[in-house]
Amino acid sequence: MTPPTNRLAERLLFCATAVSAVAVLAIFGFLLWFSLPVFHGDAVATLLSWQWRPLRGEFGILPMLAGSLCLSVSAMLLAYPLALGICCFVHGAGPARAARPLVTAVRFMTSVPTVVYGLVSVFLLVPLIRNAFSGSGFSWLAAGLVLAVLVIPTIVLVIDGQFRQVQNGIGLTGIALGLGPIQQLLRLTLPLSARGLGVAAALGFGRAIGDTLIPLMLAGNAARLPHSLLDPMRTLTSHIALVVATDSQSLAYGSLFACGVVLFLVSLLVNLALRGLRAGHD
Amino acid sequence: MENGNNQLNPCAIRIEDLSVRFDGRAVINHVNLEVCQGGPTFLLGRSGSGKTTLLRAINRLNECFPGCETSGRIRLNLGGKWAEVYGPGTPVEMLRRQAGMVFQSPNVLPLSVERNMSLPLRTALGLSADECAQRVEQALREVHLWEEVRDRLAAPATTLSGGQQQRLCLARALALRPEILLLDEPTASLDFKAARQIEDLLAELKSRYTLLVVSHSLSQAHRLAEQVFVLRDGGRVERLAENVFRDKEALLAAMDELV
Repeated sequence: MTPPTNRLAERLLFCATAVSAVAVLAIFGFLLWFSLPVFHGDAVATLLSWQWRPLRGEFGILPMLAGSLCLSVSAMLLAYPLALGICCFVHGAGPARAARPLVTAVRFMTSVPTVVYGLVSVFLLVPLIRNAFSGSGFSWLAAGLVLAVLVIPTIVLVIDGQFRQVQNGIGLTGIALGLGPIQQLLRLTLPLSARGLGVAAALGFGRAIGDTLIPLMLAGNAARLPHSLLDPMRTLTSHIALVVATDSQSLAYGSLFACGVVLFLVSLLVNLALRGLRAGHD
Repeated sequence: MENGNNQLNPCAIRIEDLSVRFDGRAVINHVNLEVCQGGPTFLLGRSGSGKTTLLRAINRLNECFPGCETSGRIRLNLGGKWAEVYGPGTPVEMLRRQAGMVFQSPNVLPLSVERNMSLPLRTALGLSADECAQRVEQALREVHLWEEVRDRLAAPATTLSGGQQQRLCLARALALRPEILLLDEPTASLDFKAARQIEDLLAELKSRYTLLVVSHSLSQAHRLAEQVFVLRDGGRVERLAENVFRDKEALLAAMDELV
């Protein structure tokens, strides 16, 4: 017999889950519904092209899709190893005294508003890149670096939580068997944390591809494919923000829903792919 | 105490003036203790009297907890040479392999039976696959587990029964070829039959290893012990004479008086 309070909690949790699931589905449905007109016949061809010239009736969103992927993947390539390194440092590779302040600092980073990162970078990082290389400084490089800083705490907190859980499970076993802290970390904690490592990658990627303000403020917003790290680029998210801010009537506006659908699908696919990888691994 | 040990084996663990404090609270207070080779030597006492802390002072596990301060001296007789447990140059990982530990509840790793055994051998000792397989089989035979698990070495260790898991933990420690085994209530989480198996094992192993057993069970100490110490509240240790712990009534009376 389950006590009545348990049953109540169970029902409440079920309701919360159902509401979240319905909300996600509703958002997707809403996006699909509003973007249906642009997914119609000729419109698809214009949408899936490399030209964004709204005045000429060309609404290609491929440069933005490529921009989003380039930016989020490069930010993750930088952020993920760094975050993993921080977690390893905290859980045995570094001195115990330094561990707590480091985690506290990373926690604090989550509470810094994105716009602050953006603003500080406009005045510090962008001129640095402008002077060191050429161009305006508003570039893939600037946005990628700051986006990496932005997603590091997300990844660190997930991996740290997983490491903690695994190490609680192991307890003193490894140490009592004469394993050193690094051996315990590399041979036990890391391999047993595979699940959390995947989740951290998925969440970090979602955060990176979904962020709007950093690419909007730092990436230069040119609606074309970047050819180098110093080129400006535009992501799907900043594209949506830009068009919404300047326009709410034209056909261009309609294409934004298509951007939303694509963004949603990319995020979903990455999540499913990581899930698939993990299932294959298990 | 030195005189009392005359008829016993030579000393294997010598503890002098040991105090352990956690966040300033004394758990072990100026304890002196000599554990002779072989055994089993039993350490009795109430819950919270510091038995586990005393045991963990020997393989330096206490220092894995924040706020722990240890003072005093512990020496282990390893291969005829005295090793300073708290000496500045003592390799603590090596020490923990030579003084293996078995915990109260079986602490198998969430890995296969074989990986549980081989992971420390390969990681800590760097043995080759062949040497490893040899030692695994030898250690599993030593705890009479080989016949039971030889066909399921790849199965998760958590699928074994509680008693089998505890014997696996014992084998895992033995595979590292320790000289001393520290056993922290090794039968407390087991049923009667599995507990008896572990007790029989202790009786077999005492000829090859020094066994120091923390226990709650007076009858276990009565049946198995070669030497009995009682840890009193306040962190002091009393040695029981052989005629006391060999006599059930006398042991009960002594325990009533001491703890």
